[in-house]
Amino acid sequence: MISLSSPVRTWAHGWRAGTKLAALCVATMLLFVIGNIGFQAAAFAFALLLYCLPGMVFLREGLGHLRVLIPFVVIVLIWHLVTGDPAGGIKTIMRMVTAVALANLVTMTTSLTALMDVVRWMSSPLRRLGVSTAPLEIVLPLLIRFVPVLTLRAGQMHQSWRARSLRRANYRIVLPMMLMALDDADRVGEALKARGGALPEQEN
Amino acid sequence: MEKDLARIALFAALIAILGLIPAITLGFGVPITAQSLGVMLAGAVLGSRQGGLAVLLFVFAAALGLPLLAGGRGGLGVFASPTVGFVVGFPVAAFVTGLVVEKLHRLPPGVNAGIGAFIGGIVVMYAFGTIGMAIVLNKSLTEAALLNSAFVLGDLLKAGLCGMLVAAIARLRPQMLPWYRAPVSHIFR
Amino acid sequence: MAISSADSPVLLEDVGYRINDMPVLAGVSVRSEAMRIGVIGRNGSGKSTLARLIAGLLEPSEGQIRIEGVDVYKDRRAAIRTVGILFQNPEHQIIFPTVGEEIGFGLRQLGASKADAVTGTQKVLAQFGKAHWQDAPIHALSQGQKHLVCMMSVLAMRPRLLVLDEPFAGLDIPTRMQLTRHLNDAGTRLLHITHDTRDLEEYDQVFWLDRGHLRASGVARQVLQDFTQEMVRIGGGDDLSLLAG
Ligand SMILES: Nc1ncnc2c1ncn2[C@@H]1O[C@H](COP(=O)(O)OP(=O)(O)OP(=O)(O)O)[C@@H](O)[C@H]1O
Ligand SMILES: [Mg+2]
Repeated sequence: MISLSSPVRTWAHGWRAGTKLAALCVATMLLFVIGNIGFQAAAFAFALLLYCLPGMVFLREGLGHLRVLIPFVVIVLIWHLVTGDPAGGIKTIMRMVTAVALANLVTMTTSLTALMDVVRWMSSPLRRLGVSTAPLEIVLPLLIRFVPVLTLRAGQMHQSWRARSLRRANYRIVLPMMLMALDDADRVGEALKARGGALPEQEN
Repeated sequence: MEKDLARIALFAALIAILGLIPAITLGFGVPITAQSLGVMLAGAVLGSRQGGLAVLLFVFAAALGLPLLAGGRGGLGVFASPTVGFVVGFPVAAFVTGLVVEKLHRLPPGVNAGIGAFIGGIVVMYAFGTIGMAIVLNKSLTEAALLNSAFVLGDLLKAGLCGMLVAAIARLRPQMLPWYRAPVSHIFR
Repeated sequence: MAISSADSPVLLEDVGYRINDMPVLAGVSVRSEAMRIGVIGRNGSGKSTLARLIAGLLEPSEGQIRIEGVDVYKDRRAAIRTVGILFQNPEHQIIFPTVGEEIGFGLRQLGASKADAVTGTQKVLAQFGKAHWQDAPIHALSQGQKHLVCMMSVLAMRPRLLVLDEPFAGLDIPTRMQLTRHLNDAGTRLLHITHDTRDLEEYDQVFWLDRGHLRASGVARQVLQDFTQEMVRIGGGDDLSLLAG
């Protein structure tokens, strides 16, 4: 499955995932605690600089991920123009864009495996308490595997609908999709059981 | 047990697929996607525990950077954006939907699912969504609620749709709804 | 009656299975030492149900099942070392996004350490001449290649009995031949369910299931011949309109 990772390798790829996550937490907290517009502007410029460093390809990709914020930028701008407080609006917008941009940066430069390792490390106290995190190691791969599988089936179902109907399928395809996913789940559960899927973890 | 794991994983995948169905645009320019319908269905079909876990898995995987949210979004940025409240509220919404459906299991299966989807998928979801938006956009709760109100109509439709879909499952595959006791005549058609 | 582990490796005693009080299988007794066992029967005769019972995925409503002396439903830990099963659709069997993870999973389930699982996976891949598949994404594989991944994942666990539930349906002739060769080379006892009698011609023993009952069993040639004759006879008529139950 396509993920949101960066198209080019950057220096940040080499950093430890845990460090990046911790830095992100601190940065986001500061952004929301410090209201000073000078600080917000500096942070905004810093984030922009980080996006520019790896080159044009990265910058374009990174800005693409930020496009979803445009409606909110527009709404906030209009709102603050109407209420006569454009400076406040600019501050809010800069803070939002910086926070999202920094978070995206971590996602783009950190592999899924590295993040999973952090999760595993953070959940080790749970395991020490006797809570098994093994199910997570099964359901996450299953999810990743079945997104493309179900997408393909949805496409086939859509075609089979189109082959026999002039009307668009849209919402009516939800029911067969759901029944299919539930049927599949029963099969998969069986195959999982055949290989000892939910046996309690063994110590070695 | 294995079946539960598989159902949780596949329903999480299904919610992602529903986000791919092209958004229908209501008359006044507000797009609605089927993703929140998936959240309601998770609770209404799988019940509170499994449904909540399925949606939790979905949100967790999106946080890890998989592009599962409607429009191919995902990653940690989602949790800093104005819609953070909705995403964080997804699992709770599914859980509450399931809880209501289970409590009302004596009602006709479509009716309880519709009510569950309304309470979990709309009341709870908007409570979370509004708080999140108020924080990120630095607005009061009332102002944030006003901004969100544009989507309520679409979600009302989805709650109704959720009820209809669950009624259809109860008719076609009653054994798939863990909370549903089918009348005997339904099993032996 | 008491069953000792000295008995036949594949042993079913008067096994029955009901769904909602409807019998799907009844009075099935099998005792076999054969290395290659075939099962045939019409659609809906209960073959897949039998396969799931033998793999310990379903609990028999009546009777007992022992594979190599193991109660496969109750003792799951022993069961996954004893019986492996290949389903018709590999999509339902594969859990992980890459070939290496898929094969390694079974080894981990048997208690191998992470490092041992990786070594074991590479060994299995090399054995099949597919060492370069380690990191291949499953979704990019062809149908036949997915079948092979399932087969490698199950064989990696070294089961004493491998149950095959129509694993070759929809595959082209060369792919079938290649997969069959891998199976025969594996040295594992096989229980093969199929609609294609040619698959079973060389088998030691064949069972014919008919509406949930064992109709015949014996050497492949005789059973397959009777079966084919009967199928052709029925095919001349029209019983598709009959609904069971
Ligand atoms: N989950 C179920 N609920 C109700 N009936 C079932 C279920 N599973 C199987 N059956 C019934 O049990 C009978 C045997 O099914 P089974 O799948 O074992 O047949 P089969 O021999 O494998 O058929 P095929 O050749 O089509 O694969 C059929 O009549 C089927 O309708
Ligand atoms: Mg079958």
